[in-house]
Amino acid sequence: MEIFLSAIFSGTSRGAIYALAALGLVLVWRGAGVVNFAQMGQAMFTTYIASTLIGHHYSYWLAFIVALISGGILGAFVDLSVMRPLSRKRSSNFLDSPAMRSTIPVIASLGILGILQSGAGIFWAAEERGFPTPVNSLGLVIGGKTMPFTAFDLFVIGTVFITLVITTYFFKGTGMGLAMRASALNPEVARLSGIKIGSMRTLSWTISGVASSLAGLLVTPSANLSPSTLDLILIIGFTAAVVGGLDSLLGSVIGGFALGLLISFVNVYDTPEDIFLAILVVLLAVLLIRPQGLLGSKEVRRV
Amino acid sequence: MSRTRSYGRKNLIISILFAVLIFILSIKLDPYNLGQLAVALMLFIGVLSIVLLTGASGQISLGQGALMAVGGFAAALAILNLGLSIWVAIILAVIAALLAGLLLGIAAARLSGPYLAGTTLVIALAIPSLATRFESVFGGDVGLNINFGNPPAWLSSLMGSVGYEQWQLLATLPFAVLALLFTSNILNSRTGRSWRALRDNEIASSLNGIDISQTKIFVFVISSGFAGLAGVLYGLRGIVGPSVYPISLSLMLLTGAVLGGIRSILGALIGSILVVFLPDVIDSIMKHFSPSEQVANYLPAMISSLLLILTVVLNPGGIAHGLHRTRRHL
Amino acid sequence: MALVAGVAVSSLAVTALPATAATDPGVTSSEIVLGMQLPQSGPASPGYNKVDDAARAYFDYVNSKGGIYGRKVRLEVRDDQYKAGLTVSSASSLINKDKVFAFIGSIGTQTHISVISDINRRGIPDLFVNSGYSGFYTNPKTYPTTFAGLGTYVVESKIVGKYIKDTYPTKKVGILYQTDDFGRNALQGFTTAGLSFEAKKTAVNFIAGTQGSIGLASQLTALKANGVEIVIIAAVASATAIAVATAAQLGYKPDKWVVTSVGADATTFQTILGSKGVTPAVSAGMLAGIISASHAPSPGDTTDEYVAAFKKINDDFNKGPDKRWDNNVLQGMNIAYMATEALFGTGSNLTRKGIISYIENNGSKMSSAALSPLGYSRTSHEAFTAFWIGAYDGATVLKPITGTRVLYTTDSGTGPVTVSNYMRPALPADAIAKGA
Repeated sequence: MEIFLSAIFSGTSRGAIYALAALGLVLVWRGAGVVNFAQMGQAMFTTYIASTLIGHHYSYWLAFIVALISGGILGAFVDLSVMRPLSRKRSSNFLDSPAMRSTIPVIASLGILGILQSGAGIFWAAEERGFPTPVNSLGLVIGGKTMPFTAFDLFVIGTVFITLVITTYFFKGTGMGLAMRASALNPEVARLSGIKIGSMRTLSWTISGVASSLAGLLVTPSANLSPSTLDLILIIGFTAAVVGGLDSLLGSVIGGFALGLLISFVNVYDTPEDIFLAILVVLLAVLLIRPQGLLGSKEVRRV
Repeated sequence: MSRTRSYGRKNLIISILFAVLIFILSIKLDPYNLGQLAVALMLFIGVLSIVLLTGASGQISLGQGALMAVGGFAAALAILNLGLSIWVAIILAVIAALLAGLLLGIAAARLSGPYLAGTTLVIALAIPSLATRFESVFGGDVGLNINFGNPPAWLSSLMGSVGYEQWQLLATLPFAVLALLFTSNILNSRTGRSWRALRDNEIASSLNGIDISQTKIFVFVISSGFAGLAGVLYGLRGIVGPSVYPISLSLMLLTGAVLGGIRSILGALIGSILVVFLPDVIDSIMKHFSPSEQVANYLPAMISSLLLILTVVLNPGGIAHGLHRTRRHL
Repeated sequence: MALVAGVAVSSLAVTALPATAATDPGVTSSEIVLGMQLPQSGPASPGYNKVDDAARAYFDYVNSKGGIYGRKVRLEVRDDQYKAGLTVSSASSLINKDKVFAFIGSIGTQTHISVISDINRRGIPDLFVNSGYSGFYTNPKTYPTTFAGLGTYVVESKIVGKYIKDTYPTKKVGILYQTDDFGRNALQGFTTAGLSFEAKKTAVNFIAGTQGSIGLASQLTALKANGVEIVIIAAVASATAIAVATAAQLGYKPDKWVVTSVGADATTFQTILGSKGVTPAVSAGMLAGIISASHAPSPGDTTDEYVAAFKKINDDFNKGPDKRWDNNVLQGMNIAYMATEALFGTGSNLTRKGIISYIENNGSKMSSAALSPLGYSRTSHEAFTAFWIGAYDGATVLKPITGTRVLYTTDSGTGPVTVSNYMRPALPADAIAKGA
């Protein structure tokens, strides 16, 4: 029983982290129509900034805020320097087909990931670091047994839900959010209705940059910080987003927790060596059986 | 019909010229660069698999390294457990990769764009991990040792002494030439045209009677065979194991394909030479500036990432496209 | 594994080493060029990327004292990022471009195995490899030029395993190990020592590199729920730090932690916990009492003459980005010290064959900072065949448990563990051993 409970709790606390990564991916997908493979690279970079500040004895919360702001700036920069010029090149004969239009930004985001990782190597010597938590991280005691679930995990879950609520409201309830969705889903129509698509997209990249940075700050206390430790979280986050439906904010959060539990149960009841295979099987199963994911809308999935 | 035939003759001539050029280099170069050129040719075959898949049919794959691993492991098992010669093992490796490609293709045909990219990325992670999962068969993290062996006696007597790196290059060359010939012929054929039609407009090509998912699967299978061939040759440099086929290998192939020109065979060659030799060039330039250790270690990766982005944004056709354009202007 | 070692060079049949005159590559009247391959960047680099700078610092010291028979040692280093594909290319670069006389201190089993056949086939000395994988060293007919730079994982875990079995006969022992050659070799050694484990209950594992993103909570919960009182960790230092921190979170307090030497690097442990906001005093407290084994003196033990001398050389000569004194630096300097001794011992007429034969014939008499004897002979190329067992004190120094240091020795097979009376030769006045 203790093992079962602990598998649930461990899965939930990890799931919150995967959910956050998935949420960030969905934000850019909805806002700009790009799956950003550089996302956890951005998170890694801004967390190194925060870690450096903390190392110089600035307070955790100052470092936290600086990291979020630099995340936003980084997101906007990625869009303005790479993604916007790319989306303007639609006339190029290399981007004239839908297949290539969705492929090229993926390649570009991999290039950005490469730059961020090698940049972190140059600036921080790829030093492996831990990262502090803002709240106590001792396990909660249930029925006399300590579970792998801490106050910090609750903090992460709380943050995930607050982010979910705010972004859902933003997309559904505000004019700007609707404009962002419209420019991603149907740029031509959006342009005709007078929406400045370019600005809307930059805004999505900025928001997603902040969300990624937040993910980095909340992930690294449990996963040491190094230029590539977050790669696996990106892969799990992507799978979580697909499971939930790539365009559904709530879906991505559910997907994150589902993946967390799945990995935890494979870990406990099968063997850790099967985790990568399990992720692959889940991903393929969802894509082949229910390609729109749990909560994704069928019509917008331009697979 | 006559047009196809003239293409065929042209392709054959180009392939022979290519073989002669590499052969001359194999006599002229120093051992280190012979080894590097051999790697470039192996990656050339791998990059061709991306030219076929992404360039011609518009499907992306970040998991070609996994298919290379399939080829490498299949060959290693054939050599070590069945005692087969490396040449037979290479053929078996290609067959194994074709089969793996069929399985993958059936799944992949229903996906495109970022879905396909993400799925193939997960594949690149999951397949090599099988080596540690089934350690007794695949040798775990340590892997399985295979190599090109010693050059055959007739070759040594023909060319004088054949060095280790020289033999790697000469053994790789015929496969690179075959891959080149095959790719150029198929891209100029009816089949190649139907792939491009699919890439440019799925709906129109389906109206023209092209079976979309069958075509996509077919491209995946062919492309996987190329990746498998590249993988076994790459493994024959000394070892087949998970650390030989990391995700970064898949990304390196993609980088080569994009830098050179994702729709061009010439581009594939330029791209593979670039990803192999660029770090050496950067190293030799940097030596004059005595940079710090961190800069020296990470600058090559940063420059190739930067080139990847610049290519995608400024010149998505890659270097080969630039060359074509320049030629047209002249 | 036997399969790997057996067929490794079958098709490259190692015939006699190439005839070598005094004209071996990498040696001139003024210079000796050595090559090292290691991960200087990428996920596997932290900690290990200090080894080359440490070795170079020692060679620079030797050069400042006039070199070896007038020859200055130049160390060429290649970063292979711990990817075997790159190891092959960078070995070729060291062999063909830099024309190294010998390889020294290459790091990593998976990476080194990709080039070991080629290096041996060419007759290039492959000195003091930083891998504890016994398959490289136990059969010199397979790899005649390769010599170990570490004790094997099997030897260490057999010795520690016997200690646990003798000291805590009634306690329940469990293990957390990485699913790679290192973790599996260690598991094999502990089992040979007579400890038995039950998969998923008292023996849990994880894929190296996933300890961060996936965590170790499930593994430690399993050990906790199965009442494991003594936890062995066969994992790299960063995973060890995560495991100990996770156990604290779970309120899991085993009677003893036992950490293999690979994971027991106090600096890495404290650096990682330090950047999590754990003060050095607290992380030293977490480390205190942890049992580990070593073939060398603890880097924190500055009363040791070798440690004091090497530390001074490190302060004066290390030009690397991170020269903080720790196990990795000590190890890097020690292999450079041993290489210098072997180069001196071979004589002024330096050849590849000569140095290999020198180490085979005189290796057991060579000195090093290690407290363990060297196992080099014609029939074995193992390095440190003895370990002493200690516990960390409150100041991150590994101290002998009973106060006096006892060395235990064994082989990489199934031989018994016995006490060794080996006494390390004293450090020469100028900290440079000149050989026999």
